[in-house]
Amino acid sequence: MTVTTIAIAIRDVTMEYPSPEGVKHVLGGVSYDVTEGHYVSIVGPSGVGKTTLLRLLTGLAQPTGGEILVQGNRLSGAPEGLAVVLQDYTRSLMPWLTVEKNIALPLRNARLDNARLSKAQVRERIDGALAEVGLEGNAKAYPWQLSGGMQQRVSIARALAVRPRILVMDEPFASVDAQTRFDLEDLVLKVRADFGITTIMVTHDIDEAVYLSDEVVVLHGRPAQVTDVVSVELPFPRSQVETRNDHRFAELRTRIYEKVRGLS
Amino acid sequence: MPAVIRRIPAGLVSAVVALLVWQLVGTVGPLAGDSFATASEAIGALALLLGDPQFWGAVLETLQMAVLGFVISMAIGVPLGFLIGLSRFAYRSTKFTFDFFKVIPPIVLIPIAILVIGPSIAMGVWLVVFANVFAAAIQTAYGVRDADPVLLETMRCYRMGVLQQIRYVRLPSASVQIAISMRIAAAASLIVAVVAGLVGGAPGLGHLLALYQSSGTSDRTYAVVLALGILGLTISRLIVRAQRRVVFWSGR
Repeated sequence: MTVTTIAIAIRDVTMEYPSPEGVKHVLGGVSYDVTEGHYVSIVGPSGVGKTTLLRLLTGLAQPTGGEILVQGNRLSGAPEGLAVVLQDYTRSLMPWLTVEKNIALPLRNARLDNARLSKAQVRERIDGALAEVGLEGNAKAYPWQLSGGMQQRVSIARALAVRPRILVMDEPFASVDAQTRFDLEDLVLKVRADFGITTIMVTHDIDEAVYLSDEVVVLHGRPAQVTDVVSVELPFPRSQVETRNDHRFAELRTRIYEKVRGLS
Repeated sequence: MPAVIRRIPAGLVSAVVALLVWQLVGTVGPLAGDSFATASEAIGALALLLGDPQFWGAVLETLQMAVLGFVISMAIGVPLGFLIGLSRFAYRSTKFTFDFFKVIPPIVLIPIAILVIGPSIAMGVWLVVFANVFAAAIQTAYGVRDADPVLLETMRCYRMGVLQQIRYVRLPSASVQIAISMRIAAAASLIVAVVAGLVGGAPGLGHLLALYQSSGTSDRTYAVVLALGILGLTISRLIVRAQRRVVFWSGR
């Protein structure tokens, strides 16, 4: 039996904030342990607090109760080794920088053996990340010269270039067309196979959650709590046709669907 | 459409029509026979003015006031606006006062300016600065505050500090608004520099305009107006071209 380590421990986290209608309780005691190297999806009905939870995990906001431990340290601010991919790629890439400069920007703060990266190391990281996402020829382009799917690939390349320990994605494929969505999902599976980065993804799409994840966490209720943790034991490598036609895939999505709807 | 016609610039067509209407108004139209100068007379006068050193002296004086005033107002307004924009409190608290100064037409300050500085190039420069500095500061501050929160949060996730966010996100974001404010200020600078001469006694094309008007030489008066139009258009074209190069991503 392999020993599992906990990358992120979410302990009884509550989140409430004042609103004109009184105090809003968004999260009511959320607890969950993210296993190192796992791909975890968070699903739940709209407005349940998925994105709020992500903001807490990235250190952009502080919980009003409970705590989040990353590698055993209590979180305050963005944890070291964090990378993010957001839904709105047009707003999270800088239009005034070329693709390679967008990728290079977070590398200013990257350290290797406590030293800044050399120019050659930065170059290597950029080229490696662009190759991984299949955008080798687009280093000098500006983001707005690329299609939506390609821009999201740039976001993923930027994330990979920092060699993250934790990758957080908020609805990463919600703004692209269906075909591009399948391509990006398969890209994420490839990245997963290549690097095994601990990944937490928020999504509305239950099929996508099952297809990509080791575990699917269902948030439900007001204030929200974890109502189910579904382990996805579908074999790797996964493929759009075979995996989605597996009878276990159908069972998992039915179970998660009912939980998200609050039917069981 | 035949290829010959398509090659004619569209702008030229309307310009020719406008001149034609002007000519007709002054020859067979309602203003025929009056002291109203026709297009051909004005253009003829302009051709003469172009050979007149006094005219070129006035052009230089006007440009001196406009350019100097423009540069000073940007040198003060943009850094000031940038600092104000970095703090939400500073932005909110100064906005009211700056908006107040912004809406005061510089022409109403001419009486004060004449008293304090006297009719001179310095007065023209001062008026141009006053006309632009507040708008430039507000616009710049707005640009700094308007930086996309998604972009700022993305950079925070990548552990970028406040100074890095200012340098890599807020400054480039603000540059779009700075460029817009420069374009507006460039046009305003020329207008104010002329008005300073027209009603404030400062030298330059405005002064020349007043001189020709009072001596009843309407062809020369109109020629100066034509020259001002050409000057203004040239400046605005240059600024737009520069803007497209500097903030090339804007509007994409």
